[in-house]
Amino acid sequence: MSDMDFSASKALTMGIELELQILNRRDCDLTLGAGDLIRVLERSGHPGDIKPEITESMIEISTGIHERYDTALAELRAIRDALVAAAQKLNLLVAGGGAHPFQRWNERQIFDRPRFRQISALYGYLAKQFTIFGQHVHIGCPDGDTAMYLTHAMSRYIPHFIALAASSPYHQGTDTSFDSSRLNAVYAFPLSGRAPMLDRWNAFVAYFEKMRAAKVVESMKDFYWDIRPKPEYGTIEVRVFDTPLTVDKAAALAAYVQALARYLLLERPVVVHEDMYLAYTYNRFQACRFGLEGLMIDPASHEHRPINEDIVATVGTIAAHAEALQSTAAMRLIRGWAGTGTNDATWMREHFKRSDSLADLMWQTSQLWGGMP
Amino acid sequence: MDPLHFLPAWPPASTPLGWVAVLLLAAIVTGESVRRFLRISRVIGYLAVGVLLGPAAGGVIDNGTAGQLRIFVDIAVGMLLFELGQRVDLGWLRRNPSLLAASVLEAALTFMLVYVAMTWFGIRPVTAAAAALLAVATSPAVVMTSIKDLRAQGQVAERLMLFTALNTAYAVIGLALMVGLLDYESHRPLATMILHPLYLVAGSLVLAGVLAMVMLSLLRLFGRRPAFQFSATVSLVLLTVVAATMLKLSVPLALLLLGVFGRLFDHERHFVSLRFGETAMLFIVLLFALAGASLEFTGWSTAVPLALAIIGARLIGKALPILLLSHASGLALRKSSLVSLGLMPMSALSLLMLHELTRRSPALASEVGPPIFLAIAVLAFAGPLAIEFALRRAGEAAEETQ
Repeated sequence: MSDMDFSASKALTMGIELELQILNRRDCDLTLGAGDLIRVLERSGHPGDIKPEITESMIEISTGIHERYDTALAELRAIRDALVAAAQKLNLLVAGGGAHPFQRWNERQIFDRPRFRQISALYGYLAKQFTIFGQHVHIGCPDGDTAMYLTHAMSRYIPHFIALAASSPYHQGTDTSFDSSRLNAVYAFPLSGRAPMLDRWNAFVAYFEKMRAAKVVESMKDFYWDIRPKPEYGTIEVRVFDTPLTVDKAAALAAYVQALARYLLLERPVVVHEDMYLAYTYNRFQACRFGLEGLMIDPASHEHRPINEDIVATVGTIAAHAEALQSTAAMRLIRGWAGTGTNDATWMREHFKRSDSLADLMWQTSQLWGGMP
Repeated sequence: MDPLHFLPAWPPASTPLGWVAVLLLAAIVTGESVRRFLRISRVIGYLAVGVLLGPAAGGVIDNGTAGQLRIFVDIAVGMLLFELGQRVDLGWLRRNPSLLAASVLEAALTFMLVYVAMTWFGIRPVTAAAAALLAVATSPAVVMTSIKDLRAQGQVAERLMLFTALNTAYAVIGLALMVGLLDYESHRPLATMILHPLYLVAGSLVLAGVLAMVMLSLLRLFGRRPAFQFSATVSLVLLTVVAATMLKLSVPLALLLLGVFGRLFDHERHFVSLRFGETAMLFIVLLFALAGASLEFTGWSTAVPLALAIIGARLIGKALPILLLSHASGLALRKSSLVSLGLMPMSALSLLMLHELTRRSPALASEVGPPIFLAIAVLAFAGPLAIEFALRRAGEAAEETQ
């Protein structure tokens, strides 16, 4: 069996991965602690899966496979509670957010050494900017062809995902003016962007094998695409979300992707075509820069409209699918955020305006993550 | 009239500031040299310069000069203890009570083992207790300097700071009680013996509490500008030193508490971005150099067995409770053993406490002076190596940028 055989999974199941920041309680800067945290969690036992990441100041939590929004949310909350309890024991804070607002790369080294050196040698300063934290949502697909359809059809909604989840307005101590500065770091990588316009799994495998033969990539992991098929899990993986400030938001975003997937797979409203990507980078930039107030161009109708209006309209379109998936509560949240035009970046800017301290902002962020009001 | 009156006299008259400049330059150059060429702690270099220029080696700095430079020692110790206190999160003890247990037990066991070892060597109980008290405290200067120097972060570094702050506090409070005991020995009334330590501890608490509130209201009023925070904090640290001295309170305890309260009362997290920078480092370098200069090297030949007993008892006393409570406190055994090792340093503060004790009880100096000085000297030099080893092995030290 090759690593590119698509393992079938139940359609429309979902799984959520969140990369989280580990902070010290003193000045709320990133700190080393993933190893010790995981050790405490393993000894006490915990729900879900908790893994180390490339840096010791990042930890990744992931849920099991869920069919429903409410069970996914419950599992995320349980994992969060276990994580927060372990962090308290070690005097650490855990927080969401797409990037740490003031960590300075030249001041501290956080990557574990051998792998950091390898990545750093290849990417130079890009590697140093890459301490960013994202949410990945997996949607189960019964076969590779379905996965390819969904990968392309879902691309229209990428600006929605970016704008709703954006939580990295600050970087290196300044307001970047972007709602999601994290994605700028991702887009600097040569293998970022979108999957090539192939709608059959066989064709995609052929493309991948050519890339591998040319030694452009070694595995699917080397593609940093916004949406990529994951044959090993039998899913497509949406990767553009900044890690939200709360697990509740993370679960609602996943439910939104799931409901969209049901709509796309059952109604097949679009035919996959290269023209779907006409406005792709434009829309993506608008979403990163202006968040929910950005403008997006509908690739089919060429109509311009604010992203939040497009979200409200979409939530209406997919309402029946959300109901079938029992995620109407999540759609209400999504519509609420779009309606008021507020995302986590808005919240962060408001808090910073009040306290004038990015460290204090991170403290508030960690409290919010812990489920405190 | 001397036609060359405009030329300076030879040799030129020395001033305290002159000594500061000489000592500082020599210490910094030596510190950088040992770091670069021997790849060991800069602290070793600072200390070595002190020893070489100090009275023990017949150097240029005699006790009189060292006395004139005492103000720099006070400032350095003040900032160190304040920063240590500020970095310590008492809430952590509540969230992880095993840490409090480990801290109390390591201090108690260290005290008992050193006390037993000393009495076994035939030292009088009061004197043995005084020496055992000195063994409880880990050097805040070495711990803070090493952690900053290596830009270390992680559980080992955090726990080293926590345990050091606590065992320093225990030792300082113990010293206050000890002073009472020494008063009693010198036939002062029983009331003095009780009231004196009470005054020291309660007075230091009140002073630190009041000044911490003053500091926080200043910060609340004038905001978070780092330069302002730095100056305001340094001024208040100095004020605390002066006030504690004038009121005959415990200066180290007051400073440690100022840091702790400064953080504890800081509900709006005004302090969150405060950092002591390179300016503070200058005082610390001087502190180590002067500590080196005040090490004594007499009567060491007979002191070796007792000094080794002190060091061994101290190592066991600190390591055993921390290792036993390792799992309960949520740390791997390997890292806990590194924490124990990192608690070995003794340095400037121990010397200051020793001077305080011998000043009140000269008999103590003659009875155990040399072994304690030897133990402190060994741990002053070995301690920085031990803690740097511990932080590196724990993977908490950042790569050095040249």
